[in-house]
Amino acid sequence: MHLRMAWRNVWRNRRRSLLTMAAIAFACALLVFMLSFQFGAYEAMINTAVKVHTGYFQVQAPGYQEKREVRRVVENPAAVVRCLDTIPDVTAHTFRANAFSLASSEDRTYGISVTGIDPAREPGVSTIQTLVREGMFLEPGDGPAALVGALLARNLRVGVGDDVTLLGQGRDGSIAATVVTVKGTFSSGQDDFDRSALYIPLDYFQELYAMRGAVHEVVGVTPSIWAVPAVERRLAMDLERLSREKKTQPLAVLDWKALMPGLAQGIYLDLVSGLIFYLMLIIVVAFSIMNTFLMAIFERTREFGVLMAMGTTTGRLTRLLLTESMMMTLMGMAAGMLLGSAVTLYFEAVGIDFGSAADILRQYGISGRMHPVLTAPSLLIGPLLVCFITFWAALWPALRVRRLNPVEAMTHV
Amino acid sequence: MTLRMAWRNLWRNSRRTMVILTAVAVGVFSMIFIGALMAGVGEQMIRTSIATLVGSLQIHQHGYRDDPVVENTMEDPSEPQAALASVRMPDARWSRRVRVSAVAGNARHSAGVSLVGIEPEREAAVSFIGGAVTEGRGLSPGDPYGILVGRALVGTFETRVGRKLVLMSQAADGEMASRAFTIAGVFRAELEATEKQFVFVSLAAAQEMLGLGEGVSEIAVLLPDGADPDPVARALAAALPERYEILTWRELLPMLTAYIEMNDTFTAIWYLVVFIAMGFGIINTLLMAVFERMREFGLMRALGMTPGGIVREVLVESGLLLAIGMAAGNALAVAAVAAIGENGIDLSAFAAGVEYAGMPRVIYPALSFAGALEANLTVWVLGLIVSLYPALKAARITPVSAMARV
Amino acid sequence: MDMVICRDVVKTYQQGRISVPALRGISLSIEKGEFAALAGPSGSGKTTILNLMGGLDAPDAGEIIVDGRHFDRMSAAGLAELRLHRIGFVFQAYNLIPVLSALENVEYVMLLQGVPARDRRERARAVLDEVGLSGMYDRRPPELSGGQQQRVAVARAIAAEPSIVLADEPTANLDSKNGISLLEIMKEMNEKKEVTFIFSTHDERVMEYARRLVMIRDGRVADDVRK
Repeated sequence: MHLRMAWRNVWRNRRRSLLTMAAIAFACALLVFMLSFQFGAYEAMINTAVKVHTGYFQVQAPGYQEKREVRRVVENPAAVVRCLDTIPDVTAHTFRANAFSLASSEDRTYGISVTGIDPAREPGVSTIQTLVREGMFLEPGDGPAALVGALLARNLRVGVGDDVTLLGQGRDGSIAATVVTVKGTFSSGQDDFDRSALYIPLDYFQELYAMRGAVHEVVGVTPSIWAVPAVERRLAMDLERLSREKKTQPLAVLDWKALMPGLAQGIYLDLVSGLIFYLMLIIVVAFSIMNTFLMAIFERTREFGVLMAMGTTTGRLTRLLLTESMMMTLMGMAAGMLLGSAVTLYFEAVGIDFGSAADILRQYGISGRMHPVLTAPSLLIGPLLVCFITFWAALWPALRVRRLNPVEAMTHV
Repeated sequence: MTLRMAWRNLWRNSRRTMVILTAVAVGVFSMIFIGALMAGVGEQMIRTSIATLVGSLQIHQHGYRDDPVVENTMEDPSEPQAALASVRMPDARWSRRVRVSAVAGNARHSAGVSLVGIEPEREAAVSFIGGAVTEGRGLSPGDPYGILVGRALVGTFETRVGRKLVLMSQAADGEMASRAFTIAGVFRAELEATEKQFVFVSLAAAQEMLGLGEGVSEIAVLLPDGADPDPVARALAAALPERYEILTWRELLPMLTAYIEMNDTFTAIWYLVVFIAMGFGIINTLLMAVFERMREFGLMRALGMTPGGIVREVLVESGLLLAIGMAAGNALAVAAVAAIGENGIDLSAFAAGVEYAGMPRVIYPALSFAGALEANLTVWVLGLIVSLYPALKAARITPVSAMARV
Repeated sequence: MDMVICRDVVKTYQQGRISVPALRGISLSIEKGEFAALAGPSGSGKTTILNLMGGLDAPDAGEIIVDGRHFDRMSAAGLAELRLHRIGFVFQAYNLIPVLSALENVEYVMLLQGVPARDRRERARAVLDEVGLSGMYDRRPPELSGGQQQRVAVARAIAAEPSIVLADEPTANLDSKNGISLLEIMKEMNEKKEVTFIFSTHDERVMEYARRLVMIRDGRVADDVRK
């Protein structure tokens, strides 16, 4: 009967209740869409970052991440691979080696990062192959061939088939110098990267920079970013054991967050500032709601007097009022989640065009149209937050009835 | 009389009025405050970028911007210098630079950098480097071998003041030129990327190393804060032959310009969103106030007031309500900005994230009159528009139907 | 056996800065099963004394004992409990919960008492039948006439099986025909169920129905007549 009473009370002033529910629905729908949007952007950023740059995790020599010196190598990459092969969640892996070098064409010279990749294994780990704009990706057996970032190629004024001279320092301090032929160019949309990256086959790299079979990074992939922590722990243990056997310093395992600290923190910062925005919005909504509740109670003071005279306790009245407000909140939430999901799913399918801002987003790895992604967290976090805050907004007026005295209440006009 | 009546009507149910006032105040506060934060971030990013060797505008040889190499230097800077002297730019400062991409290296490390040759005295008034040296000393004019290196680069290169640093770059004749410098000082910058990207030598040393003679890559002009660079750019363009290109910071930093535009769009959307959230509350409150007083409106109609008069009555009341809420929201926002203004919001805890997003490490909100006006007008105008609904409801009452209501 | 005992009850209301004495020392005892009217002009203190007897308000001085319970020794929760189980109320107007049907209004008190649902419904129907409202179970208050509404209120007061029903001017908003029939019903309930009824009125015809008439004037008992 209490539920029935609360339900009928909600519809006593239909217009007012509908407006209140509309406010709640609006806030919920907006939050569902915004959070889906943010999560979609994060996913795209992380995906681009791990798929183009770092992989989900890497094994490196200690200190390589900070210093990036040629001499800090993974001496025996095959042993690391043997460890990786025993972990089922590692779906692919490859080796890479990097060296800072001078790249010169006939009339230009730039300092760039030369990376040696395994043409056979790299496509399993990164999407660089799909970013090729002109020419072709590297193939196993390629000798002095290079895949060049599109902006670097433009700066060097070279195209497919032209030669580029590389000049750097080998692992042993020797001069590494060679001429490579541009086999293809790639474009990731991230200008800094496209301006400074050049790939050559790993075995050729190892020869050129006197690596003696060593590499700098063993790059691994897991089914999703959520599988990384477990793999990381397991791998760290295996590597520790390996180093005890060989009596060497253990290799470092770095996840994508450690490899790109800015990305993870940037996302965190965005999320926190987003939440502050949303909180302010919900507070505005909460005050509107509080007013509705307050007025509804004010109007019914006389009725509460009768209920109390009949022996209804104030606790029971408070519960009744809270039930009413939660009914409105839940209906508003449901409508908002429905509306928010519909809008999100539409844009998830169609994408959002950012026009002139697209150039900025590309620098963070979001290329082309932006697609929000509706997930359980993005669907639930916002509405739950709204529910939590409206509960408190409703509690204050609901608790006011405790101060009510039946005689005064009944003489209330 | 109308106003006095509206005022008294507002306080008939003071609790209800207070609650809706709070909603309006919080809404207006969040609009202005967040607008100020966004504007603050934008302004700081512009200021940092302008200080980081961009300036208000730059003069280049045509073609330098697309292809910033030695060949595109201005061989004889006297012509633009004369133009700068002829154009009236109160309080403007300018400085000549050589800027090329180069490779910096020591025994163990090497990295790509931007080598900037500067006139130390003039440059101090134009860009950040004047006050950025935290260790060692600055450059002296014509310093032949001194070099200023960023703190982050010093860290990765495992070097310090007094050590050698070799720079290699393509010279004017197309050959590789290299020169050994001694680290004279270490500078700090807002962004770590800046500390890694730039090394500074004297203009003379750079010109000598690259075989440029008197040639310079760019002349950067800094106008006083808030001055519009466009008229100056137009005047300079008129005073100089076609060979030269004059670009303002907006053109030099298209990404930042787009970012600021995105910020503005976002702020506008935020205004609208907050308003909608507030709008529901405003309509509801007014509707209730109107319904309570239906008998009264009926009486007023019976006394001869027109429906239009009743609409005006309700609108004046809601306009007054909005105005009070707005005043409170504005006061709150000004107070919050003043409270934070001194120390800013420190995001050092997210240092790497802030760096990644290219944001300042400490955010200082910037309250602008235009921004605040925009927020207030949004609330007031839209608020009055939504108030029309309850107002029309009230106007539709007839004396008879009103008296019949309980 | 005394159902209600008032001893030297004093109550003064504050109206702004003015103190308005409502009761200036009332002593009164009402026995179980009585059908008593408190009569007097408006403002004489009838409503105040009913509110005090119902534990809705506390006296400034004096003692009130209902069904052997001393009010001054009871907490607010205890008073609510006492009202729920021992006291039924009928007010002048706005007695019913507008969102509940006639049947549900009667059920409501029993719900609070914790009477099982089926039992509750049966009893509510029976009481509504007794007050002559069979067939109107599902009407909501706005669909009932004033007289019918007051009958529902009496039914609700009786259904909880209280020891005493306090009715504050129950007929004031009714025409004389409806007023008389309501009193008939109240009297019938008083006789059939042996429930004590105390009601206030300023209507001469209503007074005639009472078996005891307590005249209140200026907050004092002016006359006390048993018929």
